[in-house]
Amino acid sequence: MLKLFKRKKSVVAQGGDTESLQVEVASQWKLMWWKFRKHKLAMMSGVIVIILYLMAIFCEFFAPRSGFTNNSKYALVPPQAIHLLMDGKVGLYVFGYTYTRDPVSLQRIWVLDKATIIPVGLFVRGEPYKLWGLIPGDIHLIGARNTEDPFFLFGADRIGRDVFSRVIFSARISLTVGLVGVALSFILGILVGGISGLIGGTLDNIIQRIIEILISIPTLPFWLALAAMVPINWSPLRTYFMISMILTLLSWMGLARVVRSKFLAMRNEDFVLAAQLDGCNNMRLITRHMLPSFMSHIIASVTLSIPGMIIGETALSFLGLGLRPPAVSWGVMLQDCQKIVAIANIPWLLAPAGAVFITVLAMNFLGDGLRDAADPYQS
Amino acid sequence: MTSLDILLEVKDLRIHFFTDEGIVKAVDGIDMNIFRGRTLCLVGESGCGKSVACRAFLNIIRSPGRIVSGEMNYYKRTTDNLVNVIDIAKLPPKGDKIRQIRGKEIAIIFQEPMTSLSMMHTVGDQIMESILLHSDATRIEARKQAIELLDRVGLPKPDRLVDEYPFRLSGGMRQRAMIAMALSCNPHMLIADEPTTALDVTTQAQIVDLIHDLQRQLNMAVLYITHDLGVVAEVADDVAVMYLGKIVEFSDVHTIFHAPMHPYTQALLRSIPKIAIEREELDPIKGMVPSPFRRPSGCPFNPRCSKMMEKCTSVEPKITALGENHTVQCLLYE
Amino acid sequence: MGKKDKTMRKYLLRRFLTMILTVFFISIITFIIIQLPPGDYVTNIINRMVSQGASSPSPEDVALLRKIYGLNDPMPVQYMKWIEKIIFQGKFGYSFTYQKDAIEIITARLPASFVLSLSSFMFVWIISLPIGIYSAVKKYSVGDYVVNFIGFVGLAIPSFLLALVCLYVSYKYFGVAAIGLFSKEFQNAPWSVARVIDLLKHLWIPMIIVGISGTAGLIRTLRANLLDELNKPYVDTARAKGLPEARLLWKYPVRHALNPFISTLGWMLPGLISGEVIVAIVLNLPTSGPILYNALASQDMYVAAGFLLLLSTLTVIGTFISDILLALLDPRIRFQ
Repeated sequence: MLKLFKRKKSVVAQGGDTESLQVEVASQWKLMWWKFRKHKLAMMSGVIVIILYLMAIFCEFFAPRSGFTNNSKYALVPPQAIHLLMDGKVGLYVFGYTYTRDPVSLQRIWVLDKATIIPVGLFVRGEPYKLWGLIPGDIHLIGARNTEDPFFLFGADRIGRDVFSRVIFSARISLTVGLVGVALSFILGILVGGISGLIGGTLDNIIQRIIEILISIPTLPFWLALAAMVPINWSPLRTYFMISMILTLLSWMGLARVVRSKFLAMRNEDFVLAAQLDGCNNMRLITRHMLPSFMSHIIASVTLSIPGMIIGETALSFLGLGLRPPAVSWGVMLQDCQKIVAIANIPWLLAPAGAVFITVLAMNFLGDGLRDAADPYQS
Repeated sequence: MTSLDILLEVKDLRIHFFTDEGIVKAVDGIDMNIFRGRTLCLVGESGCGKSVACRAFLNIIRSPGRIVSGEMNYYKRTTDNLVNVIDIAKLPPKGDKIRQIRGKEIAIIFQEPMTSLSMMHTVGDQIMESILLHSDATRIEARKQAIELLDRVGLPKPDRLVDEYPFRLSGGMRQRAMIAMALSCNPHMLIADEPTTALDVTTQAQIVDLIHDLQRQLNMAVLYITHDLGVVAEVADDVAVMYLGKIVEFSDVHTIFHAPMHPYTQALLRSIPKIAIEREELDPIKGMVPSPFRRPSGCPFNPRCSKMMEKCTSVEPKITALGENHTVQCLLYE
Repeated sequence: MGKKDKTMRKYLLRRFLTMILTVFFISIITFIIIQLPPGDYVTNIINRMVSQGASSPSPEDVALLRKIYGLNDPMPVQYMKWIEKIIFQGKFGYSFTYQKDAIEIITARLPASFVLSLSSFMFVWIISLPIGIYSAVKKYSVGDYVVNFIGFVGLAIPSFLLALVCLYVSYKYFGVAAIGLFSKEFQNAPWSVARVIDLLKHLWIPMIIVGISGTAGLIRTLRANLLDELNKPYVDTARAKGLPEARLLWKYPVRHALNPFISTLGWMLPGLISGEVIVAIVLNLPTSGPILYNALASQDMYVAAGFLLLLSTLTVIGTFISDILLALLDPRIRFQ
């Protein structure tokens, strides 16, 4: 389909300066890429998003520990900062821990112990895992050289689970719920928007009214209501898909509207008429001529709707109406933060909020960059 | 041509655009004289700088463009029949003084009336705005004047039209409304930047006639920007031919059409298809207008010139006078 | 002026009818939602009776109860009865959790929701209009970059996370464990002038929390639109007429950019109300949020339905008003 747009043409002048008269034509995607490249912030964000998704895909490798094993010995340890220089030697190090016992509750209160130095390495052998539950391995991107040593970059939670690892494991869920939801919205949006825009007339009117009605609904209360209906005894996987569908239900309209307006505009374009006169049937018309011309806009819109999904899932899970333990997502992790008084001295439990923030910020910048680049001829 | 008749005297005007990719010399040293009651047509291909030049006369050039040097002396007649000379090039673009010239002394109509008029305001409102800005009229008087103006430019039912929004009018009607708006303060000069390019041929003829009539009624000077030589032949008294920011030839319309001296002017006239003469092929000017970032050295026209000499690639021609009212910028005549 | 009135009236009528239709559809959706959980009104009453020690009723009694409460009627009939009761009697049903009429609970909480949503709305446009204009006119200045940055950050923090962080900060550094809408004395007091003043004193933090991401988005929209408009030919025309720059700016490009601004603003209402609900849950404010949440969690269906319906109606009315405003402002809309 893309080859349609790749033409290279050169026009040689009659005498005079040949160099200044050669004409080259770049493909649509090349133009888009050139324009996107200029947007430094979007490029950086693109890199960050790619890293985030790599972490989500290979979370067992990226995380120092499993997101699920607990070590109640180290409950609520504070975060360890990485130091690059220790006693004149360059390397990665963290400080160890000592504890005192609270006289009343008899619980351990952990603090960083500058006397204990724990060497840290990259690509270390650590806790064994099964990548995607299939491929066994035990190399971790970063971790303590000695597997027994405590390594909690973001501290630990109440039952001793490594917050940093859990944040990375959560990425797998939080980032993909967004994708599944957006994919569903995409299909719905293109179908409904396409039908509406192409067929027009009364059907278009009816669909438009329905969309208007749906857009008027305040999403969160209805997400809460629908999510509350999901039975508690459903498996995490089923719940995951149900939540995706609930999120999609109230978000597909935006994309449908964009698609519809593009199709409507297309109908009056000369190149469509030319294709029809050439003898194209409707299917070919849509796939080879119309869709490529606004595919870039669709991509931009889709990218911009992912953050909404991520925030939606986080909100629902945070309120206990989305995913539930043992599944882990950023929202589920934030459930531990509901009682502010309880976490006053355990601020590292708010780490997932930071992860959400970075993800949403990066996706917004990326989506903006894509949207600006989508129309390469726009100033 | 007495000095009483001169309205605008342009000397060595240079306008440069300071873009990220480099400096574009959109207008590169032009001289021009505009006289009361006469029509000067500024002709040239797209990108020659004619639109930029005309915007300079009102100092409404958008950044990154700037007037770099030159004079634009406007000869303003006072009530005692004396003449005040104001150099527009020196007036600060956001100051009071230039605003007294805009709309009142010199008015402009643009090529695309659809985008040049505001869709949120009625036709009447936009015309009245000029009137209220430059005179002491009350709103009621201004509205009356607006209706009269709409009638004058040939619009039907002006008392209803005055409350209409521009998007409800056809292209020709919108252009007439723009003309009404431009003339609302009886300016001494009207700049028409390709006013008919966006219109169909019949409407084009009507608008051209309208401007012509109004000019005669008001004894206005008209600076007509166009690339259509047919229009030039019909309305021009004088013609200035522009190429890549320079006026390559300037004279009265008869001389330009019957005795053009500059190779570019000659090539332009040759390229017009003539019904009476039988020809197999069209005779276009060879080559293309070069990119503004890759201006040819020496005379800008040299890559496409049929009479090019060797020194044309290195020496820039100066403006040479060939007669009382005929200048040309070409090394053939220096 | 007569022509303007006529097209305006026709548009008003169209939008009004659409609004009624929208509320009607939402009521159907809401009704369907409250039918989803297992069991019904009678089951709930029986469960409550049994948990209080009464004996389980016989199947015949249960069937009789069902008949009395009309639960054997087909769904559309049940819906009609539910809607009739709401419209004509103002009765939303019974709350099992609080053992009161749902309407009492709703009226205790809905006004505060309304006030918070409305004040966030005011906050959003009062802040974003001048900042958006400034940011576009003084493009690439320091102020512009700062505004842009804050805008992006504000956009990325969902309101409930911001609420969480604010709560944390206020407790850790100011020793205040709760951000609420009232001080202790006025929490459950009846409405009075003093209570209103107390509310206004406490309103501003929740208002900012709810409104900030909307503000960020709107500033960006306005800036982008205004930048577009500033480049358009009609600005040249206005300048060529001799208009002073400031007047030119407000009369033309701002006026044109105001349309997408207002339409974006109007359609932010669903988002603001959503935001208000979830922020209220996090901060435990005395508005609809916490009650709705509890009602959904404990399947107190009539209370939940009442809030869903009323919150949606609030939203729809709000968007209706903003559409009217837009039509007043933009003549092209009326002619569509």
